[in-house]
Amino acid sequence: MTDAGNRDIGKVLINAFALLLVLSYALPYVYLLMTSLKPAADVQQIPPSFFPDRISLENFGEVLGSATLPSAFANSLITAVLTTLLSLVLAVPAAYVAAQYRRRITVLFLLFALVTRMVPAVSLGVPLFQLLKTLGLLDTTTGLVLAHTSTAVPLALLLMAAFFEGVPRELEEAARMDGCTRFQAFVKVVLPVMKSGIAITALFSFIASWNEFLYALLLTSENSKTAPIVIAEYNSVYGLAWGPMTAAAVLYSLPVIIVTLALQKQIIGGLTFGAVKG
Amino acid sequence: MKKLMSTSLVALVSTGFTAQAESINILVEGGGKMLQEAVAEKFTEETGIEVVFTEVPYQGVFDKLSAEIASGSSNFDIATIDVVWNANFAPHVDDLSGLFTDEVRADLPSALVEDAKVDGKMIGMPAWANAEIVFYRKDLWEDPDNQAAFKAEYGYDLAPPATWEQWRDMARFFTKDDMHGTATVGLFSEEWMAHVLQAGSPGVILDDAGNVILDNDAHVEALEFYRAPLCEDNSSPENALEIGWGEAQNLFYQGQTAMMKFWAHAYRLTPEDSKVAGRVGVAPMLAGSAGIAGIPGPWYNVIPSSAENKDAAKQFIAYAVEHNAMGIEAPLGLAATNSAYESYMGKDGYEHFGPLLETLGADATQGRPIHPDYQELVDEAVMPAFQAALECEDNVEELLADAAEIARDILD
Repeated sequence: MTDAGNRDIGKVLINAFALLLVLSYALPYVYLLMTSLKPAADVQQIPPSFFPDRISLENFGEVLGSATLPSAFANSLITAVLTTLLSLVLAVPAAYVAAQYRRRITVLFLLFALVTRMVPAVSLGVPLFQLLKTLGLLDTTTGLVLAHTSTAVPLALLLMAAFFEGVPRELEEAARMDGCTRFQAFVKVVLPVMKSGIAITALFSFIASWNEFLYALLLTSENSKTAPIVIAEYNSVYGLAWGPMTAAAVLYSLPVIIVTLALQKQIIGGLTFGAVKG
Repeated sequence: MKKLMSTSLVALVSTGFTAQAESINILVEGGGKMLQEAVAEKFTEETGIEVVFTEVPYQGVFDKLSAEIASGSSNFDIATIDVVWNANFAPHVDDLSGLFTDEVRADLPSALVEDAKVDGKMIGMPAWANAEIVFYRKDLWEDPDNQAAFKAEYGYDLAPPATWEQWRDMARFFTKDDMHGTATVGLFSEEWMAHVLQAGSPGVILDDAGNVILDNDAHVEALEFYRAPLCEDNSSPENALEIGWGEAQNLFYQGQTAMMKFWAHAYRLTPEDSKVAGRVGVAPMLAGSAGIAGIPGPWYNVIPSSAENKDAAKQFIAYAVEHNAMGIEAPLGLAATNSAYESYMGKDGYEHFGPLLETLGADATQGRPIHPDYQELVDEAVMPAFQAALECEDNVEELLADAAEIARDILD
C-alpha cells in the first residue's frame, strides 16, 4: 500500500466517523421530526416506531391553529432579535477595549463577566422579578429583553474579547494615521474585519434568548409570553400532547436552523478566526 | 340548588365585599384555564369584573407563585394550585374559612374539605377533583364466550372488577391473544397509595399526627397486591418501570390491555380512532378490606396574602364553587362538588361520573399527606422502595421498612 493509499483510507475512516458523530447528534431531532409527522393515535404507540406508518400534518394544523402559539412565536422573535442587538451594541465596544487596551482593570472586567456566567439563573430570578416589578416592566417585551441581555452580554463579551485578541493593534493605528478618529477606526476598519466573530456572537446571543425558559416563565404572563413556555404547556398534569408539542418544537427550531444556514460562511470563519495558518 | 345559591349569596354579603375591582388575575395550569373559563365568563357578565387567566406549564404554577411570594407582592389575585402544594403555600395565602358555609361543605366530598385544611386554616376552595377509577373493555366483558369461560374457570360471573381478588382473576383471564389483562404503572405511586387506603391504613406515608407509617401492614399488603399482576400472575407487561400514566393509557387505547385503573377524566377523551372507542366501560375504584378508596387529585383556588383584589377574588371563588358544574362542558369535564357531578348523572357520555363520585365520596378515600416535605418523601423514600418492589426480587416488607427509616430521617 502506498502512502497516498493509506492517506485515502484514513480520510474515509475519518469521514465515516464524522458522519456517525453527526448522525448521533441529529438522531433526537430526526425522531422529533418523525413524531411530529405521526397521526395522533400513533404518536405514543407501544412499542414506539421511529418512522411514521403514514404521514400526517394534523399536529402542525393544530399548532398553527392555536390561539396562543403564533403570538408567542412573534414574542420570541422580537425578544431574541432585540436581545441580540442590545447585547452586541453593549458587548462589542466593551470587548474591544478590554482586549486591545489591556490593563489590570480590563482583566478584572472580563473575569467578572466570566463569574456572572457561573451564577445559576434560578438564583437571579426573584431579584430580577422584583427589579422589573419596581420598574413596571413585568410582562413586557422590554423587561424580558433586559433580563435576557443581562445574561447574553457576558457571553457576548467573552466571545468578542477572544475574537478581538486576534486583531493586530496596528490596524487601528494605521487607520488613525490616515486621519480616522478612534471611533471611526473602530467602526470603519476594525469591525469589518470582525464580521465572522460578530456573526457567531450574534447567533449565540440569539439562541440563548430564543430558547430561554426560566426568566420567560417568571417575568412574563400573557402579553409577552414566549414560545418555550407555550410549548411546555402541552405537557399538562392531565397528559402530554406529544404530537402538537413536537410539531411546535419543529416549527420553533426552523428560524435558528435557517439563520445558521444563512450565516454558515461567517460562522465557519468565526470558529476558525485567529487560527494559525500554515 | 336554590337554597345553595341563596345561602352562597348571603355568604358573599357577610364576608363584606367592598370596593369592586375591574379585573382579577388568576394563575393557572393549562387544564385549569379550560375548566374555569366558562364560569369566569358568566362571572364577568354578572359582576362586570374581568377575569384574566395567566396560563403556565404545570411546574410553572409552583415556580411563578413562589417567585411572587418571595417578592412580597403578587400580581395574581388567585392561583389555582395542585393539592400537593397546599402545605407549601399555606403560610402565604389567605384563610378562606368564610367561604366554607355549611352548604358548601355538605356539597363537597369530605376528603376535599380535609385537604383544604392546613393547621386549622382553610387555605383554598376546591375547583375540581379527579380520582382513579376502573376502565374496562365492555366488548370483552359482555362477550358470552368470555362470560362462560370465566365462570367455568373462576366460579363466579364476569362483571366489572370490584375487589382486589377479582382484579387479579380478570387480569389473568384476559392475558391471552397478544393482550395483557392490565398494565402496572411503575413511574408513579398514587395507584398503590389508593390500595394502601383500601387495605385500611389510617393514611398514606404519614398518619394524622405526622408519624411515618410507610411500613405498616396495609402499605405492605397493598404493595404485594399492586405488584402481583407483574411479579406473580404475568398478567401485566414486564416493563413496569417504563410505564407512566400516558403509557398505561395508550396500551389500553391500543387494545393491548383489557382494563386499567386511571384518572376518571380520560373517559371522555378516548380518541375516536382508538381501538377501544365506544367500547369503554367504567366502574368505581377497587375495594379492599376497608372498602372502596381512591387518592383524590383536587386543585384549589387560593388567594395569595399579597394579592391586591382580595374581595373580588373571594367573590369569584364563591361564585365558581356555586356554579361548579359549568366546568364540566370543558374537554377535561371535571368539577368538585357533588351537585355538579349529580347534575350530569344519567347523561350520555358522562357514565364515569357515578364511579368517580362513589370513589371520591367513599369512607376510606383520603388525600395524600398535606406536608411541606411531601414531594421529598415521595422522591427519596417512597419511589426507590416502590420501584425496587416492581423488580420482583426484594422482600416488600424490608423495602418499606428501609423506606420508612429514610422518611423518618427526612422529617427529623
